[in-house]
Amino acid sequence: MESHPEPLICGYNVHREADRKAMLEALGLTSIAELFSAIPQEVRLGRELRLPAPHNEWALGRHLRQLAGRNASTRTHLSFLGGGVYEHHIPAVVDSLTSSEALLTAYTPYQPELSQGLLQILFEYQRMLSLLTGLRVVNSSLYDGATAMAEAAWMACAATGRRRVLASSRIWSEWKAVLELYMRGRGVEVAYVAADPVSGRFDLRSLKESFCRPAATFLLQTPNSLGILEEIPAAAALCRQHEALLNVSCYPMMLALLKPPGELGADIVTCEGQPLGLPLSAGGPSLGVLACTKRLREFMPGRLVGEVRDIHGKPALALIMQQREQQVSREKATSNICSNQAHQAMRAAIYLAALGERGFREVAAQCAAKARYFHEKLLAIAGVEPAATGPFFNEFALRLPCPVQVFLERMLERRVFAGWEVDGNLLVAVTEVRARAELDEAAAMFAETIGALRQ
Amino acid sequence: MKQTIFDISRPGVSGAGLSDPDFGELDPSQWFDAASLRTEPIGLPEVSEVELVRHYTALGHRAYGVDDGTYPLGSCTMKYNPKRHEPLANLSGFAHAHPRQPESTLSGLWELFFHLAEHFAELTGMDHFTLQPAAGAHGELTGLMLVRAWFESRGMKRDVVLIQDSAHGTNPASASMAGYRCKMIRTTPEGWTDLDALEAVLDDSVAAVMLTNPSTFGLFEKNIREIAERVHANGSLLVYDGANMNSLMGIVRPGDMGFDVLQLNTHKTFSTPHLSGGPGSGPCGVKAFLEPFLPIPVIRRDARGYFPDEDRPQSIGRMKSFYGHVSVLIRAYCYILTSGPRGLRTVSENAVLNANYVQARLSPCLPPVFGGRCMHECLLSTAELQVSAFDFAKRLIDYGVHPPTLVGAGCVYFPGHLRDAMLIEPTETETRESLDRMIEKFLRVAREALEDPDLVRTAPHTREVGKILPPGSRGPERAHEQKRPASEPPTGTAAAGAESPPAAIGR
Repeated sequence: MESHPEPLICGYNVHREADRKAMLEALGLTSIAELFSAIPQEVRLGRELRLPAPHNEWALGRHLRQLAGRNASTRTHLSFLGGGVYEHHIPAVVDSLTSSEALLTAYTPYQPELSQGLLQILFEYQRMLSLLTGLRVVNSSLYDGATAMAEAAWMACAATGRRRVLASSRIWSEWKAVLELYMRGRGVEVAYVAADPVSGRFDLRSLKESFCRPAATFLLQTPNSLGILEEIPAAAALCRQHEALLNVSCYPMMLALLKPPGELGADIVTCEGQPLGLPLSAGGPSLGVLACTKRLREFMPGRLVGEVRDIHGKPALALIMQQREQQVSREKATSNICSNQAHQAMRAAIYLAALGERGFREVAAQCAAKARYFHEKLLAIAGVEPAATGPFFNEFALRLPCPVQVFLERMLERRVFAGWEVDGNLLVAVTEVRARAELDEAAAMFAETIGALRQ
Repeated sequence: MKQTIFDISRPGVSGAGLSDPDFGELDPSQWFDAASLRTEPIGLPEVSEVELVRHYTALGHRAYGVDDGTYPLGSCTMKYNPKRHEPLANLSGFAHAHPRQPESTLSGLWELFFHLAEHFAELTGMDHFTLQPAAGAHGELTGLMLVRAWFESRGMKRDVVLIQDSAHGTNPASASMAGYRCKMIRTTPEGWTDLDALEAVLDDSVAAVMLTNPSTFGLFEKNIREIAERVHANGSLLVYDGANMNSLMGIVRPGDMGFDVLQLNTHKTFSTPHLSGGPGSGPCGVKAFLEPFLPIPVIRRDARGYFPDEDRPQSIGRMKSFYGHVSVLIRAYCYILTSGPRGLRTVSENAVLNANYVQARLSPCLPPVFGGRCMHECLLSTAELQVSAFDFAKRLIDYGVHPPTLVGAGCVYFPGHLRDAMLIEPTETETRESLDRMIEKFLRVAREALEDPDLVRTAPHTREVGKILPPGSRGPERAHEQKRPASEPPTGTAAAGAESPPAAIGR
């Protein structure tokens, strides 16, 4: 057989050397180098990149499996981790439907005539999240719950003309860091509202005092970083009194059972959308949900899908209100967001449709029921007390009679992620995927470990 | 719009078996007080699994991706996304890992991130990378926040960022978010940055100059060293928008051109799928002097192994929760490992070859705006056509080609005199035959524009919906407000007043 002039491993390149020659000839050129003649010699690399040699598919697979194998996961350990990201069951049909090649390899639907199906899934997402949050307008995704909260804070500043925001001190600590960084850029002051040490809820008196100077919004997270469900109507009333907007960030699963924040007076609702059918993926990519009242939509960041008509008068879907966006308004845009989490929004829509009204309520109810079952078992352990008295959903904080970090290390030795430390408390999350036997077994391990550490 | 999932809902149908017999029938009213419970159904659709599958399979078919055909959307780098990355991005040790696991249980993730950051640094000539940013624009914002932190650490206040008038819209938007005022730099009639215009605005208020190179005109900024010298002599930093990095791998590096900070778009250069608009990923690279300011955590290696370092007093903080878009970054890592150094260089060579080939063959009817050779994308003028660029682009849809980037359709913005321009980026993953077929279709539409302009003006004719005019020229836009009355407080009770929109901000 004739030997081939080209190496077999050439990455993903499609041209043979002969193709390149023929194309260069068509350009009147003789070498590839001539294509780059505009680049001054003094800035050129002039050597080969120092990168690993090409891997074939099986070597690549072996390497990646080795790396993945060095991680523990919720499949190798029994997990009670939460803190904004939760281990929920994802029906196989969600993965199957979102692997559609066109949905994987399309980009933003700038050409609506080619993209009606894609636009419709996003449109259905917007409607489902509108129903969940109780607000009219939902955009087609931001990066995650933290950046959604930060963007929502700026929306309120833009809408009210004020440059000060109030935030509950019981927001996830990482989210506070994101909020502070975004607000620093925009020149907005962030002031924190204290929490009531007994109930764990935000302190109404502290909120009143914080309104001594005008503020654009109050940012409230529910359940908060102790797992406590916040009192939205009380916050809404105070915000109205001070002509500020109420911004609620919530766990989407609670929206299955509890009144939507929009109905309770929230002007903007944001969520970390990961619980809606997204894999944990070590924290990303996730999904930022943002919903608002109709009168705030001009300040909203991100893509919005809406109904338009084609030139024949036929209804169609397209990206709308693009004058808010960077590709039209540049420095005056509501945000710089371009690539977003569209595919994650599609996952969320398909997840919600797969569960349906009853299924979604059932999953949420199981989260709450199993969390209560486990909570009761853990409170039966000598020395374990609830960290706060307010109501919880599926995540609760406990005071342990031993150092939390040491307890977590011992539990890790038993292949249990027993929770997350928040302010010296142990935060424990329970979702529908925990079986009763697992909870019983875990409760026994908690009791043994705590008992041993107390002595 | 076809039937929505809500239209086919049948009350009582449920998609999947979800109940847990150990817990039986559950009654939420025993756990929450009555005032906080939902009193009405949510209104979510109720369909069987087969109905669900048929509905979304049909919708999935009514979209157009790179797998369907050529997608020459300029500046978006719509290259082929290798299938072998998909299962590897979803390996259980990554997909089922919780971000709050003890750091000692994620050593495979830290190792991957550490090496990927090193590879990006080698590719770009930068010293350090953060993989946290969620998308290209988010990486731009990260870079500008780092610039800001650096000036603040030196007790200096500079509040202006200079940006090319042809920059991606995200550049000025990111600068605003980072608290900067934007000033535009003109381009010369040849498409280069106007050095005199730059010099005229370069004063001690300028924190940074932000450039894309090659520019959104598809041209390499040949004076880049001189620009870098002037910018640095002014005490300003040079920021690189890495959106067009696909033309430079293994050939020239932004770090060697004099850039201090940059972002990459993994969904462009590193072949991670565009996913209908995202998630992408926007790693941000810096020269050593900016390293202390990188967002936390920074992945490091010491005698114990790889770990996330959060003890960084000068850090700007966090750009988003947790570490970055893990499943996206894994695909970028796989792409680099499969390609190898020579393969990546060939990617850029072929991207530039393909763009020049398309430009040359289309030039008789769509001449290049600036003449001369282009980099990985070509900017062509539609001035000689009998129809507008918009009409021309829409007719391409009938021939199964995704239209190129035009003003308002794509993430690029062209200054006024280039409103008729069309930006074509074929990418390296199109064969010559595929390019020839695409070129034939362009030429055919150009002929049609002469012979039967009305046919072109009213296109597309073969799609489920007809032409949709761009925003501003079409009728009322509706239903961003949802039709089904979701509960909302009655107008008048909300904060900043009744029905009139709240006062807009004065900027």
